[in-house]
Amino acid sequence: MVDVSQSQARVLQALIESEGAKTPDELATRSGLADSAIARAVLTLSQNGLVRERVEKKTELTLTSEGKSFLEEGLPERRIVSTVAKSGGRLGLGEALSRSGLDEKYASIVTGWISRKHWGRIEKADSDLQVVVDTEPASDEDEQVLARLKSGSVILEELPANLRESAQRLIKRNLLEARIRNLREIEITQDGRNAVAGTRARQEVSLLTSEMISSGEWERVRLRSYNVSSPVPQVFPGKYHPYLRFLRMVKRKLVALGFREAVGPLVETAFINCDCLYMPQNHPAREIHDLYYLKDPSRASLEQYSDLVKRVAETHENGWKTGSTGWRYKFSLDESSKLILRSHGTALSVRSMISKDLQIPGKYFAIARCFRPDMLDKTHLTEFNQAEGIVLDPSLNLRNLLGILEMFAREVAGADRVRFKPDYFPFTEPSVELQAYREGVGWMEFGGSGIFRPEVTEPLGVKVPVLAWGLGIDRLYMMHRKIRDIRQLFTSDLEWIRDQTVN
Amino acid sequence: MEGLNEILAFVKGDVESLEGDAASIEVKDSNRPDIWSVEGIARALRYQLGTGRTREIRVAGKSGLKIVIEKRVKPIRPFISTAIVRGLQPSEEALKGWISLQEKLDLTYGRKRKRASIGLYQADMIASPLSYSVAKPDEASFAPLGSETKLSLREIVTNHPKGTEYGDIISRFEEWPILVDGEDKILSLPPVVNSNDLGRITPSTRNILVEVTGTDTETVHSTLKIMVACLAERGGRVYSCVETYPYGSPRRVVSPNLSPTLTRLSLSRINRLLGTSLGSKDAARFAEKAGYRVQRVSGDTLHLEIPCYRIDIMHPVDVIEDIAIALDLNKLKPEWPRIWTVGDLSAETIETETLGEIMVGLGFQEVLTYVLTSTEVVSAKMQMESEKAVALLNPKMTTHTVMRNWVLPSLLEFLSRNTHVDYPQKIFEVAASIERGEDASQPVRGERKVVAVTIHAEAGFTEIRSSLDALLQNMGQSFEVKTTEHPSFLSGRCGVIVSACRDIGIVGEVSPKVLRAWGLNLPAAAFEVNVYQKTPSGV
Repeated sequence: MVDVSQSQARVLQALIESEGAKTPDELATRSGLADSAIARAVLTLSQNGLVRERVEKKTELTLTSEGKSFLEEGLPERRIVSTVAKSGGRLGLGEALSRSGLDEKYASIVTGWISRKHWGRIEKADSDLQVVVDTEPASDEDEQVLARLKSGSVILEELPANLRESAQRLIKRNLLEARIRNLREIEITQDGRNAVAGTRARQEVSLLTSEMISSGEWERVRLRSYNVSSPVPQVFPGKYHPYLRFLRMVKRKLVALGFREAVGPLVETAFINCDCLYMPQNHPAREIHDLYYLKDPSRASLEQYSDLVKRVAETHENGWKTGSTGWRYKFSLDESSKLILRSHGTALSVRSMISKDLQIPGKYFAIARCFRPDMLDKTHLTEFNQAEGIVLDPSLNLRNLLGILEMFAREVAGADRVRFKPDYFPFTEPSVELQAYREGVGWMEFGGSGIFRPEVTEPLGVKVPVLAWGLGIDRLYMMHRKIRDIRQLFTSDLEWIRDQTVN
Repeated sequence: MEGLNEILAFVKGDVESLEGDAASIEVKDSNRPDIWSVEGIARALRYQLGTGRTREIRVAGKSGLKIVIEKRVKPIRPFISTAIVRGLQPSEEALKGWISLQEKLDLTYGRKRKRASIGLYQADMIASPLSYSVAKPDEASFAPLGSETKLSLREIVTNHPKGTEYGDIISRFEEWPILVDGEDKILSLPPVVNSNDLGRITPSTRNILVEVTGTDTETVHSTLKIMVACLAERGGRVYSCVETYPYGSPRRVVSPNLSPTLTRLSLSRINRLLGTSLGSKDAARFAEKAGYRVQRVSGDTLHLEIPCYRIDIMHPVDVIEDIAIALDLNKLKPEWPRIWTVGDLSAETIETETLGEIMVGLGFQEVLTYVLTSTEVVSAKMQMESEKAVALLNPKMTTHTVMRNWVLPSLLEFLSRNTHVDYPQKIFEVAASIERGEDASQPVRGERKVVAVTIHAEAGFTEIRSSLDALLQNMGQSFEVKTTEHPSFLSGRCGVIVSACRDIGIVGEVSPKVLRAWGLNLPAAAFEVNVYQKTPSGV
């Protein structure tokens, strides 16, 4: 059996009910389907031999402008007999025309039609013509034809025989216009009738309902097939931010390498952020163009660190017991107590080292939001993330530092080769820069590192070597996503975020 | 360039640009002024590469120049140190280099001349003894560099470009320091500017007087050593001067002191820190390459001379690093530490990921916004009056002046930039906000919050409340929502989230006033809630 869709079935049904050939317009009225749906359905049905299309030449009648005005106001002969009947059955022709609002030029037309239609008599009195009407006549065929044209056009050949003649008359009177047109008509075939009989048993539906499933009716109905290759509306899933997703990946890698994550506050004291890292208080990197200071509140109490503050201060001033000369200046507690925004992840390494939970051997890392007073541009953010960490054990040395860096380059950056360059940080000695090589990218700086100076570790109470490292994860991410502008990390472009794949 | 970079690694340098035979080099070590000059870099490389002869930097003899220090400079700029370098034949290029070194030392090591500043003079035009004295701003005058006419000290500080740049260092004093020679010629107004005739060095200058004044005696002496060592590298012979002080101790100082410092370094300490097994001969060889003179090796101990210009050496680790650089870091075999530790994420990260899982499951897109913002964003646009946000002392941009005290404004700002993007838009962030703390022991308080906004034609209270409920129920947190009024939310459609008698957040439909302020034309509903049991304290 041929497949018949829901709308096709309704077209066939309409054809059976109307018992004969129908135009698409008529089918639309009868089936309640839209024109486009009819066109699609008929096309398929005729291809499948369920309907036949016929094209016939027919005469389409429409009103002329005069015809339209007569449709509204009545034929002139009607208006005259109506006026005369209301005025006692007799009236002079001139008087009747003017009372009916008709021009003198209609005089001969109305008298002719009144006589021919036997609606009244025209009598001569002196030099004047008089119209005599006994009773107002009922509407005639001409008027019926006009009435049918109220809704637009009619087909001459479809009019009843008596009206067809009348229509010809009205054409001659120039009230109707006749045009020959090719009209499509659709007729049901025997196959079509058979198909209707078949589909009555298996009705097609689009929506599978709960009732259908539980009643088992879904097996008896036909579920409409969809065009599965046509486009559908786009939806946007909730998902992680691509940069944060990347940072989480880095965290997982570091955890896998045995590192424990440390956290700490965004607002720090200059003491933790700088002094504990043996950065002298008059160091250029502590000036206002390198650190954000808070306005109010501007100071924190350092009471909780009292002994530590003493040791750090002494180390700055004269080296304390570290074997160092120290920076040899007068340490200021006020400078120490200033509140600043964390400027590097190394502040978290300090927090790990002074924590009562510090374990040796130990490996710690943090991915920390840091702040520096830079103008935003392609290569600078005023707020950014740093990945930093430390490794502590009595056995550690510079070769272990290189070993850690090499592992990071391979595991985190996917590097093929690494090389090391001497570097400088105020808090590490030796200091090493990590450069990683990746096929297709070339050499890139991927991290800074070093062994904390004894002036850093000893005042904090740490008596073992501490390897410290930081990774350039922003650059790595930019390389992954082919980003050239660092501001893209904090982008507010929702479209771009939605477009990013999750791998 | 790659080859040059390889060599420059020995001095922690990188080629910034290369044009013809002129290279611009960035030297990373901000603590080694001895290599802030062509002469210094060349000296370090000569040692490393073993090319050319290294020069011994020493005092050739006495210059006979005496400097008498006046008591009244003590509160202003108490220290001066001088030397004379003879036999120079500077090229234009060498001169440019010296001026550039002088400026770098003034700026960085001298802390913009506050701590120390350098003057260079035509030694032959100066008569001994010098007097380091003071004068009233209107009672002394000389022609400063770049000027043919005499100006009073006050005019110099007010009008001369160096006066406006550095005048602040002395202007608060009633008397200003001056350097005057035996014939009453004024050499300079330290630390502002030199005399135009005595204090200008040209290619025909053969003998230079180097003078450093400052507030810290050690910095003053070190700066002189660096400058003198640089001139000596160009073939200059260094002659000492004698300064006589009416205060401090010692009263009589001979400068410069170019003798090396002796130090002892144990071989085992070197090997322990570097992970190497160097013998004493190797260690000595690398120390020499790094520019140290090895006096002798006794047993495990190296006896080293630290050259006078290595003013950065504070601790044996500084020397050990130099040895590591000399033997080449890339020749050391990297070794993953053989220690066993358990890795783990912080409780905070785990909680953040869990919250993210629920929010993503509810169809929200995670976003990332800045902690730094402006009162315009956190108050004005949100129709809030008070400005509670903690402000920066030194903001750099008008858009980043405070730390946000709540996060929702950042998310609305995000949405305001996406009005052309397909709706519905549902975004969230697990983010930090900062509030004032109670007292100095906790001056600020950080909070981590989950913040979410939904915006589309049918966004409303029920939708956002359903998401909030789903989040908190899945986090196992009991809570209730009570009616409240908030200027950023629609009256009657806003609730405070209460858990264990504590306000933990707010939920509601965003006020159309706020939406208009952000240029948003669709209804939006949002919540901001602190679900963390343990929040890290501010400091």
